[in-house]
Amino acid sequence: MKTVSWNRTFTEAKDPRKTFGEALTDAGSAIPEIIALSTDSSSGSGMGPFAKKFPERHYEFGIMEQGAIGYAAGLASTGLIPFYAAIAPFVTARPYEMFRNDLGYMQQNVKVVGRCAGLTYSHLGPTHHSLDDIAIIRTIPGVTILNPGDPVSIHKAVQAAAEFKGPAYIRIGSPPMPGIYNGDVPFEAGKGNVLMDGTDVTIIATGTMLANAVKAAMSLESEGVSVCLIDMHTVKPLDTELVLEAAERTGRIVTVEEHYVTGGLGSAVAELCSANRPTPVHMIGVKDQYASNGPYEELLGLYGLQAGQIADTVRNILK
Amino acid sequence: MSLSAQEKWELEEKALSLREKVLRMIKASGSGHLGGALSATEILTALYFRIMRVDPQRPDWPERDRFVLSAGHKCLILYAALAEKGFLPESYLDTYGDLKSPLPGHPSMEKQPGVEANTGALGHGLSIAGGMAMGLRAQEKKNRVFVLMGDGEQAEGSNWEAAAAASYHKLDNLLAFVDRNGLQIGGKTTEVMSYEPLEDRWSAFGWSVKTIDGNNIEQVVEAIESAPFEAGKPSVIIADTVKSKGLSFAEGDAAYHYWKAGADEMKTADADLKKAREILENARKGLK
Repeated sequence: MKTVSWNRTFTEAKDPRKTFGEALTDAGSAIPEIIALSTDSSSGSGMGPFAKKFPERHYEFGIMEQGAIGYAAGLASTGLIPFYAAIAPFVTARPYEMFRNDLGYMQQNVKVVGRCAGLTYSHLGPTHHSLDDIAIIRTIPGVTILNPGDPVSIHKAVQAAAEFKGPAYIRIGSPPMPGIYNGDVPFEAGKGNVLMDGTDVTIIATGTMLANAVKAAMSLESEGVSVCLIDMHTVKPLDTELVLEAAERTGRIVTVEEHYVTGGLGSAVAELCSANRPTPVHMIGVKDQYASNGPYEELLGLYGLQAGQIADTVRNILK
Repeated sequence: MSLSAQEKWELEEKALSLREKVLRMIKASGSGHLGGALSATEILTALYFRIMRVDPQRPDWPERDRFVLSAGHKCLILYAALAEKGFLPESYLDTYGDLKSPLPGHPSMEKQPGVEANTGALGHGLSIAGGMAMGLRAQEKKNRVFVLMGDGEQAEGSNWEAAAAASYHKLDNLLAFVDRNGLQIGGKTTEVMSYEPLEDRWSAFGWSVKTIDGNNIEQVVEAIESAPFEAGKPSVIIADTVKSKGLSFAEGDAAYHYWKAGADEMKTADADLKKAREILENARKGLK
């Protein structure tokens, strides 16, 4: 089990949408086929710099989140590479059938970016929370799901998605994300990164929960717990080899995600283990309910997603 | 450019040939979406045998024009046109309904070259075609994009999202058809859920509109050849047609939207098309 190099002290937090925008502009400078699609949220999604630099490659559709997926499919069929970014539930839950038929079934080379995912829109309530987007898109065959957990990973996820052919869903949050990696970290779609290679318990985290999982793991480590910590930035295709190796190595797995436990990373890991190497999988995430409204950090606390709570959950499991 | 008598005859013969193929596929599987395939026959005849630049030897030819069948259940007429054009061997028509057939009940790009989009769920085709038109224009390509919708399909709200975006983005390389045969599964389109007057609605959405007799090959050709009807606007042809056109017992009857063919009706269908061919052959003599 090979660990990657990462900062054990966090670097300055960055707005993930801004990072996405920078990454898109960089990718767009190198690959002229890249275009940006917006449904009345271009700057909110971080695509402002791209639109400014390449105005003729930026397409606005207004608030038509179903039709925009079809347009993206048609655009991709002519050889262009559309990146379509908007608020996560409106690019996944609302246009599900368009995503399935027009992007998945036709395998169109479109990259859909769901921003402000999870509980980001904490005050605005369940219509704007996105706790089911991974579950929804995971049911569509042939769609890659990238859920990067720090600014460097967001940049690399956008670059990777631009370079492989086929539909992808890239999930990002909105609150500033601390930097975990330095620029040299490998990012290969479908390959998780091992941050710590302990043997007592495996923590697999994804996306916005990576930083909290890292904090929890370091605190457990300081108490003498030998933690195996994995950043599973690609939820689909899942790095099955790595998960099974970790299951073998530690005998228990804890998954952490800002998503329903139903259908998300935890489910994917449990589905894999149940068939191949039965292993207890404890899933940390939101249970079957409409989440409450309120300040973001407090909401995370309500659902056991803060770093201290993650560590507590792991301690209980190890008792 | 108006059609010569010879050209008109040739296109009418193609249309009949496509109807015969539709029947052949239904014979192979025992059932199929009959009504819409036969109402749209002249539109596909005009597109594939007069208008569109396509090459069966190179289905992915970048310079090709594109046809999206939004009303995917009308696929029998698309398969008939693709077979007549040479995209698939005629013998494939006899596999319709089989597990491994390249011609499933709704069209699939992976299974049959020449199919431009996987359709079936209604209300998807116009946005896909709009994206194609937008992408081709962005790359300064001259290819045109055609899309065929049903009139019952007009009730899908996603069409109107797509329609608004097409006019806002001035996609005048896009030509849409509404096959207004007036019937859907549940009965008359004006009684199940009316979207009339279609001309006013499309026009209000920024499209340039023409209404024609969609089973009259001359009118169909003439309308398509005059598109774009206005520069800077997408065009839509509201084609008034007869559902199940060409089969005496089924014309204008909603019950034949999907036909489970009985032996007696099949006999009548054969006789109807045979008679139509005799009439055409007689007309050919008049041409010389």
